[in-house]
Amino acid sequence: MSADTASTLLLDRMDVESHVQAMAQTPGVRFADFFGSIEDDQLVIRLVWALDREHEYRVVRWPARGTGYPPLSEVAPAAFVEECEIYEQFGVSPGKGRALNRLVIPPRAEHSFPRLGTAPARERPLPHASHYVSGDAFEFPFGPVRGVGQESMYMGLVTSGEELIDLYLLQWHKHRGIERRLRGEGVARALFVVERAEGLSAVGNGWALCRAVEEIAEVSPHPAVNRSRGVALELERLYNHAAAIVALCQSTGLAVGQAQGEIVLEQLLRLNAAVFGHRYLFGVLAPGGTSRAADADALMTTLPPTMDTLRRLVDALWTTNSFVDRLESCGIVTPADAARLGLVGPIARASGQDIDTRRDHAFGPYRDVAVEVPVRATGDVMARMSVMVAEMEESARLALDLAGAGLGTGTVEVPPATGSALGWCESPRGESLLWVDLDAGRIRRARVRPGSVRNWRSFDDAARSRNVFTDIAIIEASFWLTVAGLAR
Amino acid sequence: MSPDRVRIDRRRLHVVREEERVAAKLRDATQRMFGRSLHIRTVDTGSCAVCESEIRLLSAPHYDLHRLGLFFTPSPRHADLLLVTGPAIRAFDRALEKTYGAMPEPKLVVAIGACPLGGVYQEDEFVHGQLERVLPVDVFVPGCPPSPLALLQGLLVAVGRLAEKVGAEDFTTLGEEEAP
Ligand code: SF4
Repeated sequence: MSADTASTLLLDRMDVESHVQAMAQTPGVRFADFFGSIEDDQLVIRLVWALDREHEYRVVRWPARGTGYPPLSEVAPAAFVEECEIYEQFGVSPGKGRALNRLVIPPRAEHSFPRLGTAPARERPLPHASHYVSGDAFEFPFGPVRGVGQESMYMGLVTSGEELIDLYLLQWHKHRGIERRLRGEGVARALFVVERAEGLSAVGNGWALCRAVEEIAEVSPHPAVNRSRGVALELERLYNHAAAIVALCQSTGLAVGQAQGEIVLEQLLRLNAAVFGHRYLFGVLAPGGTSRAADADALMTTLPPTMDTLRRLVDALWTTNSFVDRLESCGIVTPADAARLGLVGPIARASGQDIDTRRDHAFGPYRDVAVEVPVRATGDVMARMSVMVAEMEESARLALDLAGAGLGTGTVEVPPATGSALGWCESPRGESLLWVDLDAGRIRRARVRPGSVRNWRSFDDAARSRNVFTDIAIIEASFWLTVAGLAR
Repeated sequence: MSPDRVRIDRRRLHVVREEERVAAKLRDATQRMFGRSLHIRTVDTGSCAVCESEIRLLSAPHYDLHRLGLFFTPSPRHADLLLVTGPAIRAFDRALEKTYGAMPEPKLVVAIGACPLGGVYQEDEFVHGQLERVLPVDVFVPGCPPSPLALLQGLLVAVGRLAEKVGAEDFTTLGEEEAP
């Protein structure tokens, strides 16, 4: 199979279990996504495997009639979130008596609450720990209105006052029904919505959508236009990682580092505005190309000095013991867990997973340039910061190289086509997947799976691993995920 | 230094001057009216996380809200201003109502971005679409997202409105009305 392909396989429902058994045990195969859609009044389930070493995505589908499907999360634990999602959106569960969590359906929601399919017969209860847990432990409720300038989310922290015993998250507060909203939309409007599903990954998620649509319509943008998209994607990674470093300084109480980091962050956002006309790169992409010309001169003159400022900051941080001490051995995600839970992006790479869609499933401009992928083994906050710093260097190099090869703007016409395809991209939070089913250029079903969806899955594990209460903010900063991306 | 080595980027200079102008006005207004302490609480009703990013940058060195006498506060009970982002998700109504309700009078609501204006999501089963349907909004700051400079400008307008509200309160009768 050549690089950057997705193949689709139709399974008989009876074969699903053995297929999943076989795939989950094959080394180098990663569970990537799992979702339902209603086709001809029938629920069809799709499972996406990433065969990173073979540069291939494999989409498997089967009709889920009657009893549903076998409990996949028993063999592929990563599938648990999606099992919960399919249950609350389509009312189909993996076998009787399985304990599933509630994800985005608010408590006290009516049976008529809008979903993608039919509501389940019984809504799942919310996860809950009693306030008096046992011995000296109690639940400390935090949220949904949290710190200043933080997204809404509820954290149930079970603690004895210092040590963190357990933690669970409720994220339904931000569910805007993005996938439901996309139904029936044209591609341009869909891109507008997908960019705003998780604004901090607007380019990553948006590009994945564009790629799926362009594949269905069998068009591809000019290489110079694709290079502009690449520059936008690398700039997005740069400002996000800078923001994560700012958050790390803030959560460790390092005010000077925070201020220095904010200077770099603001410079990067201004650079985005100078190069593409928007601080967060909204509206840069268009179906079939880009809608904004990139100012390569602004990039070439401003990025190198900004990187110098960043390097000075990072050097200072690595030699600040009070900072480094808080990062080491904090919020550990073991390589085994990272593989088991199908993590992606910097979090996976900090836990020994050598994956990056830009290299493993090369697309657009990344077919012509080599991407260095930093990998660390310890899986703690320190490793995540180290991966982010290395990625920033690589992103800056890539952005300058791509710009050096010449940037273009404009779109090729995307005819209103019919069919389905998987699009992918490496957003700052890791692999972003967009599966799209078009009917004469209108969306029948779009599955939006930002990197955040996969990675929140390991947050509670990271938080529980020998941490104290005050480490939570540090771990959250190092994950640098969005609630918007998960609760979409 | 020879004259040809002094390079002035006029575009940048303009932005800096604009920032300083807005900042100075805001500082004067807060100092005069609130004795250097106006407290802000933020709440997210379904944003895409980008408006939050711009709000956080208000306390960054480039904008430095603190020097203007404005502060973020984690507690709504200490807040004079409520900055609201997002399209007012219905499931969030109760949390929003509680946050607003906890703020002391006189208080002000500033809607941040296109979301609370209804510019991103139309009203439907998930969202109110416009914040005004659930809270009395005093100032809208448009933009997707509004830049920190636009946010400063919005705060300046809000500070003026708050002063009007303070002026309109009849403190001498407060308490008397509640007496039996
Ligand atoms: S106004 Fe725009 S930037 Fe702000 S939260 Fe809404 S979609 Fe995001």
